[in-house]
This record gives sequence, structure tokens and C-alpha cells, in this order.
Amino acid sequence: MTRALGWLTVLGLVAGLAAGFGYAPREAVQGNVQRIMYLHVPSVLTAYLAFVLVLLGSIGYLATRRAGWDRLAAAAGEIGVLFTGLTIVSGSIWGKPTWGTWWTWDARLTSTAVLFCVYVGYLLLRSLIEDPEARARYAAVVGIVGAVNIPIVHFSVKWWRALHQPSTILGPERSPIDPGIGLALFVNWVAFTLLFAYFLSRRMEIARLEEQT
Amino acid sequence: MTYARRAWIILWKDLLIERRAKEHANALLFFCVLLLFLFQFALGPDRDRLAAAVPGLLWLGFILAGLLGLGRSFLGERENDCWEGLRLTPGDKSAIYLGKLAGNCVLMTAVEIILVVLFGVFYDVDLWTPAAPLALVLALGTIGLAAVGTLFAAMTTQVRARELLFPVLLLPVQVPVLLATVSATQALLLGQPLADVAHWLKLLAGADLVYVTIGLLTFEFVLEG
Amino acid sequence: MPSNWGYVFAAYGIAAVALLSYWRHLARRTRALATRRTAKPRTA
Repeated sequence: MTRALGWLTVLGLVAGLAAGFGYAPREAVQGNVQRIMYLHVPSVLTAYLAFVLVLLGSIGYLATRRAGWDRLAAAAGEIGVLFTGLTIVSGSIWGKPTWGTWWTWDARLTSTAVLFCVYVGYLLLRSLIEDPEARARYAAVVGIVGAVNIPIVHFSVKWWRALHQPSTILGPERSPIDPGIGLALFVNWVAFTLLFAYFLSRRMEIARLEEQT
Repeated sequence: MTYARRAWIILWKDLLIERRAKEHANALLFFCVLLLFLFQFALGPDRDRLAAAVPGLLWLGFILAGLLGLGRSFLGERENDCWEGLRLTPGDKSAIYLGKLAGNCVLMTAVEIILVVLFGVFYDVDLWTPAAPLALVLALGTIGLAAVGTLFAAMTTQVRARELLFPVLLLPVQVPVLLATVSATQALLLGQPLADVAHWLKLLAGADLVYVTIGLLTFEFVLEG
Repeated sequence: MPSNWGYVFAAYGIAAVALLSYWRHLARRTRALATRRTAKPRTA
């Protein structure tokens, strides 16, 4: 089952690359740099999916005390951090030629950076507790707080940014939705979701094996 | 024994211990004075630069003091082997959380008052005129900081490297509170009316509600084991 | 507007390296756990 998912993922990623580089048109204002969006946006969407699963796993564990939920939370948290990191790096690289700087405190990058810090903390907490039961319990609490905080962070950063920076016209958030761009984005998003599912499946299997030894 | 009474007992016990031992209060007071020096030296002699940075520095001061003070919320119980006592308390464990939260709020408020006075005197900033709305912002920010801080403090008390883990866990979660309070404080110090910062206050109130609720709901899970 | 392909390849390149490394990390851990289990006789 996981193998099939793996191959499907490869297919999806190839399709995504083809769509992003072949099918999608060259964007009028930013040029080819805009193609990074096909990496950046699916990454952040996948990260959000991951953290929703961390929330589900956390609540599930506290409600049922079944280890499976904790495995879900742990796996999703780890992969979520990976994709969040990817989002930040790709966003930064996109920003350099577009805005002239490697980093800017715009709403999305800032929110994503905060998200990254929250869940790195989550992984750190997990790594510091040896007792599996305590680890699952504490991680679940942090997982819930972290996830519930996401919308609060989003709004606070958005309002804060409105105070300090005028909206830029050339911004990764403001690309026009040309149908070619839209389709390429969709295909890449599906591919990334498949990749996430594949990683999740394998990571949870590892967690299950670890519990048995 | 009612829920409220149990929470009150925890609060009263902590206040009493503090009054007798004075460990936290003295050290934190002195820490606030040191912060004054720290900020002044970091920003240099330019009066205007310091004045412009006051809202941020104020909250930076609260957070730094908070990290020290909040992180130790449950240290007394842990070091004196009273953790079991907490665990074995009959009834809803969230009463303990509420009591501890109240105690932490009292502590943080004391720190804040001290810092505000010190800032007013040493940095020559007028914090008296906007005192009432400022107090509201402080109160909302304090609850936000203490709500998550108390929960995480209980958790990290039992974990290795707790002095490092506590700030690492708490700070990212506190970003919205920090953004909201600093923005609101800045506006208030510039003489803007309270109505202008209403959206920040609503955000803080909403966030506080969420944090306290989660604290109440999940505290019993932290206390086990 | 210059092409900036360098940036595009850098971003995709880093992503590819990161994702592939993680995949290999997962594969290695799975292998290690599998051999550990066969080496240790399973007790009932």
C-alpha cells in the first residue's frame, strides 16, 4: 500500500514539475522566478495539513490514550517542520530577486517562521522525554496549544504588518490567477499532498516498529 | 470543598510562601533594575531612540521577567516532593491551574508595576497620562502570558533541560500577545485614544480566553504521572 | 525582468535535496529497525 503510494507520489511530482515548468506560462511581472510558487505554496499548504493532523492526533491521544494517535501526531509534526522549513527557504529565495532582500517581515513569511519555531519546540519537547506515556501526553498538550494558536498568530501578524509595511505590488501573495498558473499550482499541490501521505505512512510505521522493540 | 475554594487555597499558599521567604520578589525586583541598565546600555545615550523603543522594551522586560518567574511556578512543589500532593488532590485538577494562574498574575502584575515606575522615572517617559488604558493592555497581556506560562511551567518542571525548554516552548506561542501589546502600548503612548487600539484589545481578549480554556481543559493531563 | 533561473533552480534544488535526504533517512531507520527485530528473537 505504501509502495503504491510511493510510486503515485513520484508520478505526481513529475507531473507537477512538468506543469510548473512546461505548461504554466511565464509570469508577466516577475518572470520565471514566479515558478518558485509551485514549490512554495504547496509546501505551506502541506505544512498546514500536517499541523492539523498534529492537532487531531493530540486530541485523539488525550481522549483515547491509544498510542496510534500519538504516532500520528509525532510523524505529522516531524514532516510538518520539514515542509515549513521548505516554505521558508523557498519563500526567502523567491524574495531575493523579487524584493531585493533575503528576508522581509511580511505576513506570510513571519507567520510561517513563528509556526516553524512552535513545532521545532514541539519536536524538542518530544526528544527530551524518554517515557513514552509522558511524552505522548505532554506533546499532545503542546500540539493543541500550537495548533489553536495558528489563527491567532495569523491575525496578529497581519495587523502588525499593516502597521509597518505598505502592501507591495510585487508580492508572492499577489500573483494573478492565470488558469495556466492555477492548474500548475493545483497539480503541484496534489503531488505534495501525496508526498506528505507517503512520508507520513512510512514515519508512522517506523514509530510503530520502535514501540515494539 | 468547592472548586473556587480549592483554587483560592493554592493562590493563598503561594502568596504566603512568597511573603515569608521573599525569594521571588526580591530577586525579580532587582532583575527589573538590572534590565533598566541593560536596555539603556544596549540602545545608547540617545534619548529619543530610547523613548521610541519604550513600548517594545517594556514588554521585553515583562517577558524576560516572566520567563524567570513563570518558569519556576511549580518548582516549589517539585523540589519539596509535593508533586504527589498536587496529583492526589481530589476533584477537578483545573482548580490548581486556576490558583497557580492567579498567583502568577499577581507576581507578573507586581513586576509590571515596578517596571512601569522605573521606566517612567529613569527613561523620562510619561506613563501616567495613559495609565488607565495602559493598565488594561497590561492586564490582558499578563493573562495571556501567564495562562500559557503556567501550563508549560507545570509541564517542563518534569522534563530535562527545563530552563531551556520553557522559553523555547513559550516564546513562539506568545508572539501574538507580544505583537498586540506592543502595538497597543505604542499607540497609547503616542496619545491615541483607546478606541484606536480596540482591535488589538479584542485580539488579546480572544487569545486570553482561548489560552485559559485550553489550560483549564488540559492541566489534568499535565499533572498525571 | 531578468530570467533569474538561478534562483528557481536553487529553490527546487534545495527542496529536492531536503526531501530526498528525508526519504533516505526514513529508509535507513526502517532498515535498522527491521534488522534489529530479526536479530532479537521475539518473545511471546
